[in-house]
Amino acid sequence: MSQNVNPTHSRMSEQATSSPKNSEGVLQPSKDNHAVTKRLQKELMVLMMGAEKGISAFPEGDNLFKWVGTIHGPEGTVYGGQTYKLSMEFTNSYPYQAPVVKFVTKCYHPNVDITNGVICLDILKEKWSALYDVRTILISIQSLLGEPNNESPLNVAAAESWSNQEKFKEELLKHYNEV
Amino acid sequence: MATSSGSEPGPSREGEENKEKDERMFECNICLDTARDAVVSMCGHLFCWPCLHQWLDTRPNRQVCPVCKAVISKDKVIPLYGRGSGKQEDPRNKVPPRPPGHRTEPENTNGFPGFGFGDGGFQMSFGIGAFPFSFFTSSFNFGEPRPNPAPVGTPQFGEEQFLSRVFLYIACVFILWLLLA
Repeated sequence: MSQNVNPTHSRMSEQATSSPKNSEGVLQPSKDNHAVTKRLQKELMVLMMGAEKGISAFPEGDNLFKWVGTIHGPEGTVYGGQTYKLSMEFTNSYPYQAPVVKFVTKCYHPNVDITNGVICLDILKEKWSALYDVRTILISIQSLLGEPNNESPLNVAAAESWSNQEKFKEELLKHYNEV
Repeated sequence: MATSSGSEPGPSREGEENKEKDERMFECNICLDTARDAVVSMCGHLFCWPCLHQWLDTRPNRQVCPVCKAVISKDKVIPLYGRGSGKQEDPRNKVPPRPPGHRTEPENTNGFPGFGFGDGGFQMSFGIGAFPFSFFTSSFNFGEPRPNPAPVGTPQFGEEQFLSRVFLYIACVFILWLLLA
């Protein structure tokens, strides 16, 4: 349960600790939790039924709130032929709040922090919508690999070397080690 | 004959596909389940009212449709009432009730459109007839208990006689004018 609690999501922790009589009139935590579980189960079913090309995801152990996703680097880019693992942590306020998604495999990319795997992607922050799910997040990250946003880089060195693709791939393979 | 037998398997297969599609069509865009207390946004996207309410609550500064990002608001959603939607197993006291649907009464259409002008004429003549009537009642009805007629011989009696004669004269002139006009 501790890994479901994310202190950065103030709203979620408020729900978890406060009494059912919430000032904002939101649903009770237990009920909410049930709704989140139900939605994640649905997503898992959809993911397992329709085999999406190049992406996969599955809950880690018995905890439905923590998933491990896998992305195949898009062909025709420097990431082609590589496989990246990601961790996805859902909160009790999912899908109203985006899950916390990080690269587990070291990823040399302008918008990914090489040290902790943090991804800078608008749909995981201010552009998040309750409609997005595990599938769409992974597809978005997959396309981000081939089309980085070099305007606001997390990894400045990667953003600068992006123009030289050969040099970029060289650097990329130095960091990459398949899981 | 050939065409009818050839098209026969079409509808049944299509029907099955449509049924599956229909079931998904009525799923809430947030919880991905069949929409309960369904509401539809102005941009046409279906949600459970509790789900949409919570979505709008989470981001009070950016009230947009989760599907198309159109600007939406709580009072601009339309509730969907299916058959038998009256009973609710879960009253959800915590969530404010769904906003009511807005309905406008259909405009009163005349049974005989051809007589539209005649109807107007009738209303007008009624107005003319009623006006002097209400004028007389309001002008010549002083209070509820009518004052007794003044006793014979007093100056008031004479005045009243004179007044009644004047009014009789006016009435006669009025009737004459009506007849001649």
